[in-house]
Amino acid sequence: MTALISARDLTKKYGAHVALDRANFSVEAGRIVGLIGPNGAGKTSALRAILGLTAYEGQLQVLGREPFRERSELMRDVCFIPDVAVLPGWLRVDHAIDFVAGVHPRFRRDRAVALLAKTQITGKHRMRELSKGMKTQVHLALTMAIDAKLLVLDEPTLGLDILARSAFYDALVNDYMDETRTILITTHQVEEVENLLTDVLFINRGHIVLDSSLEEIATRYAAVAVPADRIDAARAEKPFHERRMLGKVVLYYEHPDLAKLAAFGELHTPSVADLFVAKLSGEPE
Amino acid sequence: MNTVIWLVRREFWENRAIWMIPAVIGALMILAALFGRIELMSIPSEVPSRAVGEAFLVGVGLTFFAVLSIYSTWYLLDCLYADRKDRSVLFWKSLPISDWTTVLSKLATALLIIPLVYFVAADLTTLLMAFIVSVRASSSIGGALWHVDLWLQMQVLWVYLIVTAAIWYLPLAAYLLVVSAWAKRAVMLWSILPPLALILAERWFVGTHVITSQLANRLLSLPNVAFHSNPGDKFWVSTVVDNEVVRTPASISSFINAYGFFSSPETWIGVAVGAALIVCAVQLRTRRTET
Repeated sequence: MTALISARDLTKKYGAHVALDRANFSVEAGRIVGLIGPNGAGKTSALRAILGLTAYEGQLQVLGREPFRERSELMRDVCFIPDVAVLPGWLRVDHAIDFVAGVHPRFRRDRAVALLAKTQITGKHRMRELSKGMKTQVHLALTMAIDAKLLVLDEPTLGLDILARSAFYDALVNDYMDETRTILITTHQVEEVENLLTDVLFINRGHIVLDSSLEEIATRYAAVAVPADRIDAARAEKPFHERRMLGKVVLYYEHPDLAKLAAFGELHTPSVADLFVAKLSGEPE
Repeated sequence: MNTVIWLVRREFWENRAIWMIPAVIGALMILAALFGRIELMSIPSEVPSRAVGEAFLVGVGLTFFAVLSIYSTWYLLDCLYADRKDRSVLFWKSLPISDWTTVLSKLATALLIIPLVYFVAADLTTLLMAFIVSVRASSSIGGALWHVDLWLQMQVLWVYLIVTAAIWYLPLAAYLLVVSAWAKRAVMLWSILPPLALILAERWFVGTHVITSQLANRLLSLPNVAFHSNPGDKFWVSTVVDNEVVRTPASISSFINAYGFFSSPETWIGVAVGAALIVCAVQLRTRRTET
């Protein structure tokens, strides 16, 4: 099975600043992949490159195409929702549907209309009259009505309240995702997407720090909450990160010897958010 | 082709001024015809009725055309910049529409579609005004506005002017698109600065005025290239009014110099420069998404 997205030595420079530094990663079909990294790590540059919005160095294939050279062809199979503010204020909801239906061969108008019928948004509304949450609903309805192979989400819930966020992800998982689709998502709110992801890509300073499925994480990493008296013995097993909390120290291990570690304290698989902090704190400055 | 139609439709949604400005101008002229004091006007009997009809048609036409040139300039400067300013470029680029199609649809909107809207508006305005005036005013004025052959000539003139202006002003329009695709802010300023800098640099360092004269020529010479600006006597009718000879054109369309326009090297040099600038604008549109 070939990868849906494959990047080799993907590099993006803005003058002297290197946003992506020979990044290597691949995304398989049918997965929900979180691209996670701190601000300025290169997330947006990676997405822009994948979407053909920017030139780059190195090799990049998305659905067998070169994104920058073939953006318009690629967009028949790829959908993109950046944060909420990109639908133009002057555009009317019914016109937006008409337009996408007119130019997109894979758009199913009835599905978009059905999705919007569940909301309080009417066709005559202009985008500038809608709240951020409503605009996201419109964008999501337009996007989910397209039979795309890859959906790219860049901080899609930025500026939304908790209810709107939760509604957004519910719609994504329940109405959209199936085995023929692949989702690539970047977000700061790791906790929020953790239970929908199948894979994570950690990115820092333009490098891919971790490229792993969640099942692999469960076997490859372990965290142990160790009481103070057993800390020296636990440290001898070479944890890659330590975190103090409530009188205990949580130690993080890669390729753990579970039998040994169980003796030090309570074993668990680290959450994606914790693993992210652990991995990136361990990085040299 | 279908995509292009949708893209043009989208321009009408975004820029309601495309039809609102000509509608307002037309409405003002019609109001003037309705409430102006035309009943006091009369034409001296020596003035040919056709000359009045021509003056009316050309006057209304030129008013629309003048506003059209200003609006189209503004439209071209704004069209690619506006998408980047409100970040909606990310939405438009998420659709399977190539940057070539986008840029060419904006160019076609500015050079063909918007002029056609003004043409229709000018026609409707002249017809309504002629009708109102003939009801309200003396029969001599009213009659002067109903020369069918003049009206038909005006149609030919409009179409000819739209086509020649689109070709003649292609390099300027494409230059405005380049600025619109490139500038991070202040598109108006950025459209003026480079030519101004070139003009001043040439004047100071070389001491010549080639750029100035070329630019002035491109801006102002369309009437000279596309029309017989100094036609011989056969194009004119002489009338004596108050002991003075008044020369009026024999017909509007006799001024059209299509052969001169299409055989002029200047025309095709402009097209070549315009094509090169369009390529630049598309390249910039492909690469620039930020403002």
